[in-house]
Amino acid sequence: MSSIRVPVVSADVAEPSTGRRARPAIGSHLFLVMLTLAFLSPVIWAVLSAFKPAAEIIRNPLTFDPSTFTLSNFTGMFADVPIASGFLNTAIVLIFKGSITLFCAPLAAYAFAKYDFPLKNLLFGTVLVTLMLPTIVLIIPLLLEMKELGWVNTYQALILPGSVDAFAIFWMRQVIASVPDELLDAARVDGCGEFGIFWRVVVPIIRPGLAGLAVLTVMNIYNDFVWPVVIASSDRLATLQVVLSTLAQNITGNKIGADYATITGELLAASAVALVPLLVIFIVLQKHFINGILAGSVKG
Amino acid sequence: MAPAPQRGPSRFPLRRRLAPYIFILPFIVIFAAFGVYPLLFTLQLSFTNWHGAETAQWVGWSNYAYLLTSPDFWASLGNSAVLWLLIIPIQLVIALLTAVLLNNAKLRFRGFYRIAFIVPFVTPLVAIAQIWIVLFDQHYGAVNGLLHLVGAPDIAWLTSSMWAKPTLALLFLWKTTGFIVIILLSGLQSIDSSIYEAASIDGATRARALWSMTIPLIRRTLMFAVVLQTLAVFQMFAEPYVVTKGGPYGSTTTAGLFLYNHITRADLGTGAANSLLLVAIVMLMSLGFVRLLRAKD
Repeated sequence: MSSIRVPVVSADVAEPSTGRRARPAIGSHLFLVMLTLAFLSPVIWAVLSAFKPAAEIIRNPLTFDPSTFTLSNFTGMFADVPIASGFLNTAIVLIFKGSITLFCAPLAAYAFAKYDFPLKNLLFGTVLVTLMLPTIVLIIPLLLEMKELGWVNTYQALILPGSVDAFAIFWMRQVIASVPDELLDAARVDGCGEFGIFWRVVVPIIRPGLAGLAVLTVMNIYNDFVWPVVIASSDRLATLQVVLSTLAQNITGNKIGADYATITGELLAASAVALVPLLVIFIVLQKHFINGILAGSVKG
Repeated sequence: MAPAPQRGPSRFPLRRRLAPYIFILPFIVIFAAFGVYPLLFTLQLSFTNWHGAETAQWVGWSNYAYLLTSPDFWASLGNSAVLWLLIIPIQLVIALLTAVLLNNAKLRFRGFYRIAFIVPFVTPLVAIAQIWIVLFDQHYGAVNGLLHLVGAPDIAWLTSSMWAKPTLALLFLWKTTGFIVIILLSGLQSIDSSIYEAASIDGATRARALWSMTIPLIRRTLMFAVVLQTLAVFQMFAEPYVVTKGGPYGSTTTAGLFLYNHITRADLGTGAANSLLLVAIVMLMSLGFVRLLRAKD
């Protein structure tokens, strides 16, 4: 492609190009609006339907009549499934596992990004390889390990495995690598200790990336499902997602003994209850989250 | 500051040489205990016929031989491959178009769209999987309800082996496309916009600019997205586990779900061998994509 053209052309092109720009604008909004509808409608439908009488959900799935508004799906669901203890267990895991991830991953990533030490490349290579491992690969041996430790159906089994994942290290290393070395050296000259440099210089600079990691971590832990199903099958320890999935099995297995409509109603009520906290957190923090991902992603 | 010690190859004080080891220590301990150790354990298990209780017997390569000659193993890979074909091309086209549109600072309601597109990504998978069961129910679902409105016949979305895969693919597309949009957006933001000004003087149309400039410029990000999603599709487990249980007639038994089924039958040796085969396949595919990327450099 030739990079220089005679300027005369630009006047010629300027006119039709505004006309061209106007039409795609409508087309692109149409595209985006349809996509928005596709993305939001299942969630909106589920939340609205949860407030309908159970029989109505399956008889008239497409309508919503505000005069029939009811909370019976919610009251039935709270009576039938231990969703409150599910929330509590998820909150406990979230606090401990989240803190471990948010402290250990950036600290290790800082060592990988800003120090030279023997075996560094080998260690980081191992981290990269585990990035490619399906989480499900480790499930059998981890389960056996937990049995040996006597940790089946314990909080530590829910919290420790997967608390420092390879992706967090990889991502934070990218983010910390962009912090200028001069700043670290200046802090050193000022008498700052090595951990002090991390805590008082690096952490404030990478705050957007950390915020992104925080949102992603909260989301992953909140939504985690495979490992909790395997390791914490007891009712006492079931996390929110485990409680939800048991309810889903009732719809096919019909274990509660209730009719299809009732279970569907309770299912939608439970889904709505599980959806809302994360959606609220996300909408409040969405700027940090998106900017955090933009700060940490691969470029070009 | 501590005076620099005389011995050792490093010119830095001891404190600074020790620091990185202390910083990676918590990570290394957790990583070794719950990452590396179980992985080595898997390797060992894959050569045994252990079912969890009796003493394990060394069976050599027979688990691998059994899997590689098992039609069910290949069928599970085939199911995942079909899902890959149903998902990845559509997802890339939609995500790329969306990202290009959202990258335009003059676009109205840009912030709103960004939130709307990421909502599915934040939605708990188990919750949306259940909503999917209800929405796509053949008799009572809202989707068939919509089809009735336009006079179309019922579709057995989740109960026919023809439609179960597309319905799962739709769930996966719904759930992850917004995240891919954000990843592609990060690639687009690294492009210097002045090249487009040069191109518009050239009279290049939007479609051509997209094809011959934007796509080559963000091909690394595109490849990153493809590798990420390939891993995700071949590991897909929770979606079929909740929505279809692998049925009907095994049509949605993905590679990830097939692997899980060994665990439920306590066939741990075969399960371990299956894990490692799946890792090998996924790694080969990722390397293939990386090669593809290198070839064009």
